[in-house]
Amino acid sequence: MSELILKVENVQAKYGDFLAVESASLEVPEGKIVSVIGANGAGKSTLMDTIAGVHKPSAGKIYFKGEDITGMPAEKIVTRGLSLVPQGSRCFIRMTVEDNLIMGSYPKHVRAKAKDSLERVYELFPVLKEKRNDLAGSLSGGQRQMVAVGRALMTNPECILFDEISLGLAPTVIKDIYARIRQINKEGMTVVLVEQDTNRAIRTGEFATVMLKGKTVLAGRSKELGEDEIKAAYFGL
Amino acid sequence: MQYLINGILLGGIYALLGVGMTMMFGIVKLTNLAHGEFIIMGAFASTMLAQWLGVDPIVTLIITVPLMFLIGVLLQTVLINRVMLQGSEPALLVTFGLSIIIQDALLLLFTADAQRANVAYNTATIPLFGNLYLPVLDLIVFAISLLTILVLTIFLRKTYMGRAIRATSDDTTAATLMGVSVKKTYAIAMGIAMATAAVAGLGVGMRWTFYPSSGGSYLLIAFGVVVIGGMGSIPGTLVAGLVFGLAQVIGGAQYGTLISYILLIIMLAVRPQGLFSK
Amino acid sequence: MKKMKSSNRDTVRVFGGWPLLIACIVIVAVLVVIGFVGENNIRRILIRMFLYCAMAVVWNLMSGYTGMTSLGQQAFVGIAGYSMAVMTSTYLASYWVGLLVGGAIGAVLALVLAVILFRMRGMYFAIATWVIAEALKTFFLSWKFVNQGGGLSVMGRPTDRTIIYMVALLICVAAIVTVYLLLNSKLGLGLTAMRDDPDAASSVGVNIFKSKLICFVVAGIFTALAGGWYFLNNVSIYPNSGFGNSWTVAVVFIVIIGGIGTMAGPIVGSVVYIMLSEILADYPGWSNIILGFIAILVILFLPDGIIGTLQKKLKFEILSQKRFSQE
Repeated sequence: MSELILKVENVQAKYGDFLAVESASLEVPEGKIVSVIGANGAGKSTLMDTIAGVHKPSAGKIYFKGEDITGMPAEKIVTRGLSLVPQGSRCFIRMTVEDNLIMGSYPKHVRAKAKDSLERVYELFPVLKEKRNDLAGSLSGGQRQMVAVGRALMTNPECILFDEISLGLAPTVIKDIYARIRQINKEGMTVVLVEQDTNRAIRTGEFATVMLKGKTVLAGRSKELGEDEIKAAYFGL
Repeated sequence: MQYLINGILLGGIYALLGVGMTMMFGIVKLTNLAHGEFIIMGAFASTMLAQWLGVDPIVTLIITVPLMFLIGVLLQTVLINRVMLQGSEPALLVTFGLSIIIQDALLLLFTADAQRANVAYNTATIPLFGNLYLPVLDLIVFAISLLTILVLTIFLRKTYMGRAIRATSDDTTAATLMGVSVKKTYAIAMGIAMATAAVAGLGVGMRWTFYPSSGGSYLLIAFGVVVIGGMGSIPGTLVAGLVFGLAQVIGGAQYGTLISYILLIIMLAVRPQGLFSK
Repeated sequence: MKKMKSSNRDTVRVFGGWPLLIACIVIVAVLVVIGFVGENNIRRILIRMFLYCAMAVVWNLMSGYTGMTSLGQQAFVGIAGYSMAVMTSTYLASYWVGLLVGGAIGAVLALVLAVILFRMRGMYFAIATWVIAEALKTFFLSWKFVNQGGGLSVMGRPTDRTIIYMVALLICVAAIVTVYLLLNSKLGLGLTAMRDDPDAASSVGVNIFKSKLICFVVAGIFTALAGGWYFLNNVSIYPNSGFGNSWTVAVVFIVIIGGIGTMAGPIVGSVVYIMLSEILADYPGWSNIILGFIAILVILFLPDGIIGTLQKKLKFEILSQKRFSQE
């Protein structure tokens, strides 16, 4: 078993009085793909936002590469090598595709590599190279997701969190993007994949963690857990 | 025809008046009611420095632009970033308070006397064909305005900081995920807005007599330019500046301002998102 | 939403009912007595206080309860001041006519402006009100009928200050009572709901347009009455004094200091404002700077103002609205 690159211990997160994540724990081994599975409203997105520093946890600890990053602001966390592709892509719609990607190399320590990273992203998603001068707002949903993934790659991360990247996309597009994610992972990137679709999650992730009503209720190797157990946990049976 | 020339030349400085305001509006989502006073601050700074140092007012930009930039950064960091946590209305009222404070402070410092940045080419003109002519002073102010807007546009398009500012205005959360500190970006945006106010102030001081109390009318021009141009849009600001400039010239000294105000009120009621936004 | 409010309410003691009414009557009675026997200087100060208080109370109704932050109340002050001047000096009518014409024009102006302004929200509304006031000022500066920038005098000012004092007090009390009754009516409940959540309120059937219109017109009328009366006392009016934004500055200051969205806030705020401005009158030039700093510090550190903060700390409400307690 390889070393843990990301470790989340009993994290709690609230919006005002609303408890979105009651208690979540997550272990992500370096170089692997970990799926986080759960129904709508299980707290998956809040957990991802909390790990990435967009949202402050009200309890618990988060470690990345051994460093305590609990409560660190998002703009600092990204410089540590942890990047989030947020739900709904959230491209900068009034900026060109290329400007969107270049924004990914905003952190000072990756600026020198910006050119190489850009080439790599264009290799991964050739369509983005064609549309480099188009406004991100004019792209299709799938292309926007590619921009968001590319932008995250530009920050030169060691671990990427993908928050429901397949949401609202056509099956062929999803297949394509997932193939790219596997490719990125083979090149050494650790991946956390948030999914509502259990089958796809189990197929892609070597490890799986299931969330139910704000809690992580099951975790382990996808194969060992088995589809039935994961589905039971998903529905809280 | 001469109207057209004068209107266009006037439009340049009007666009510059609006540019700082539109940045704050579009990026920081702040209605800065003190922008008019910032411009008058710039006008006083340039006029006084030029007198003391015995140089052309344009030279004073070397001092006023960085100075105003710093004041802007400080103001945003110390005061406005904090108030903005309480919502947009308290922030609006704080800038209102700032405008009053600055106005009265200028009054204390410089009295209510009329001021003007005097230059040698005050009344010089370049004759064109027919009866037409180009007033040198207005032309210079126009050129400075356009140049400032051009530099700002290039900065926003081509530099990391400029992209970060645009990204923040599109989606603050996504921007922080790229390593952008929103508060720092806001501070720099305010600094830039103040720097444009310094240049605009120079233009105001060169073209018109001004008083400590002149801020309000320039704020309203700036706001009009912002509204007609569509907030946050710099090219829109340019066109809107020209529209306003022409309206002013056609209305003449007596009704020009009134026409501008009425134009603005109609715009606010009918198309608050601006002429050029979708 | 409703549940939360009413449960909140159990813990809040309310100073109201008979004790409140008696206290108010006593205060008003004392003020009336001062009107007859008080020293001239005290009466002068109190007249200013009454008029500012009336304007602040109705501004608070707009901004604190319906989210319409007007920065152009001087439009109403100026219009009414000029009505007073034109009626008394051009048409040689009595100041009563001047006052009533001012109030009526204020109401009409509010109705007309509402058509334009109610299409806007938030800061657009704020700026538009300011632009309108500036436009009026610019217009009056070049309007021959009102002597352009040269201003007009108000004629026939009563020699006995007691009349000016009593009417100022009456305008102030009427403004407070009107706002109090409005807030405690069905409309008031709707207003609070609207402020907290405009979309929910409209779906519950609160007629937003009507509620806002009533508040805006009420504010227009009382601001005009107070403004007209102020200029009767002041004897002359110029575009820059009538339509100057110092009116709005004062009113905003009063409401912020006292506590926006509270009934007693503007009343306390106007007392503080008048006292401060009397003290600062010895330091001409500095007064607005100091008031501005105080206002900014209050927004930063006491965003609920004096009354709002007291209410939170002591769980005490004075002159409160009934909110949802009756349901």
